[in-house]
Amino acid sequence: MPDNAPLGPAVAGLEAAFLEHRERLLRFLRARGAGEAAEDLLQEVWLKIAAARTGPVAAPLPYIYAVANCLMIDRHRSRRQEELREREWTATIADTATGQSDAPGADRMLAARQMAALVAALLDGLEPPRVGQIFRRHRVDGIGQRQIAQEFGVSLSTVEADLRKAYAALAQFRERHDEA
Amino acid sequence: MHEDDPIKAERIRESALAWAVRTGDPAFADWEQFTAWLEADPSHAAAYDGIVLAVDDAADALAAVPVANDDEPAPAPWWRKWPGGAVAAALAAVLFFNLWSGPDGVRLIETAPGETRLVELDDGSTITLAGGTTVELTGPRAARLEQGQALFTVVHDDSAPFVVMAGEDRLVDLGTVFDVKLGRGGIALGVSEGAVVFNPQGPNVQVDAGELLVRRAGSDEVEVTQVDLLQVGEWTQGRLTFDMASLEEVAEDLSRSTGIAFSAVPGGAAYTVSGSLLTAPVKADPRVLEDLLDVEVRQAGGLWEIAER
Repeated sequence: MPDNAPLGPAVAGLEAAFLEHRERLLRFLRARGAGEAAEDLLQEVWLKIAAARTGPVAAPLPYIYAVANCLMIDRHRSRRQEELREREWTATIADTATGQSDAPGADRMLAARQMAALVAALLDGLEPPRVGQIFRRHRVDGIGQRQIAQEFGVSLSTVEADLRKAYAALAQFRERHDEA
Repeated sequence: MHEDDPIKAERIRESALAWAVRTGDPAFADWEQFTAWLEADPSHAAAYDGIVLAVDDAADALAAVPVANDDEPAPAPWWRKWPGGAVAAALAAVLFFNLWSGPDGVRLIETAPGETRLVELDDGSTITLAGGTTVELTGPRAARLEQGQALFTVVHDDSAPFVVMAGEDRLVDLGTVFDVKLGRGGIALGVSEGAVVFNPQGPNVQVDAGELLVRRAGSDEVEVTQVDLLQVGEWTQGRLTFDMASLEEVAEDLSRSTGIAFSAVPGGAAYTVSGSLLTAPVKADPRVLEDLLDVEVRQAGGLWEIAER
């Protein structure tokens, strides 16, 4: 499909939902911390949806919300990375006076491996062992929570509680890591 | 955040954790409620972002470095690179091109609303796709219904049962013509010939010819009722039958089969309609629905709204 193809009926359905619920979506973006940029960000949400050339979506509004939420998470992440980079850069300057240096690829791979090993160890240490397994199934394999409940023979609220436990441990781990 | 008030900080952390878990599920739809929580206190968004970022990064790290005992060593699919892995999983089902041949012979077939398509497989089995449907051929005897509705006419082979994944449900044929619908309302499986086993590793329900299995979205309960054999896959003949269907279901089915955007007026979920109709006249003039299903139909912007009459 060429980029300039006219909007298909699938996108038209999303567009209808987008236009109809514009105010709600703006409200969500503001609540999510978009502030003055809410209008611009909503536009960006639409561009992402249009560019994704989605097929028909069963529930257009939740889909649009999910895209908007992803966008805000993205923004938060890049803002955080900028802060970290700035800090690192300052440190590098102070150390070597050679300006920003790229970490060698091998080091980065090592760092990623170490991080994965730390995360795996942390998940494996959670009790009951199901907590780590459920986290992996959900976040690494991308399986929905209801399906996981079926697979593990537990209730949906147990799956949610287990995930909360894993999330809490990972958030705490991150805080410690950042402070170090 | 609320370092000065540890009890409040803990409460915010707890609710942020709960929202991070809930919004991370592909089935999450309660965005209004989430908005209200965010609006209640400006520190909520920061607490939520902190958790989501930590969890996303951890999941990314795990996915990037396969664990040795992982029985699926495949690299992380492209969509997992999108932050919010599980949300992305929900999006993955719809972010594809029209017809795509992957490197491993994986094929995606997608129809636009209002379009139907017949696909013949190498073994002589056929899949008829209704409008607004995505089916992925994942193997010579395996397919995945991502969304929409499809009629499977399967050449049976005892040594190699045909397996259809519908969302997260597994359907295994026992010599069969069967129709699967996966939509906002849940999953519906009608069998007109042979039998299908629904989730053999889970509830393991056998659905025989003349039976219709329904599982509503958000529920684990499976309901099997009798269905007229002629009704199974009748949409391939341009007919739709509704039996105590919600207006949302009606709107969804009609949008898929006619290519016209229908939507149910919110709040009418408890109102149900029954009736059988041909889609061609509806396509020509959506207003004919009024008398066919005893509903009100009005044009609102680019779409047709169906309301209780």
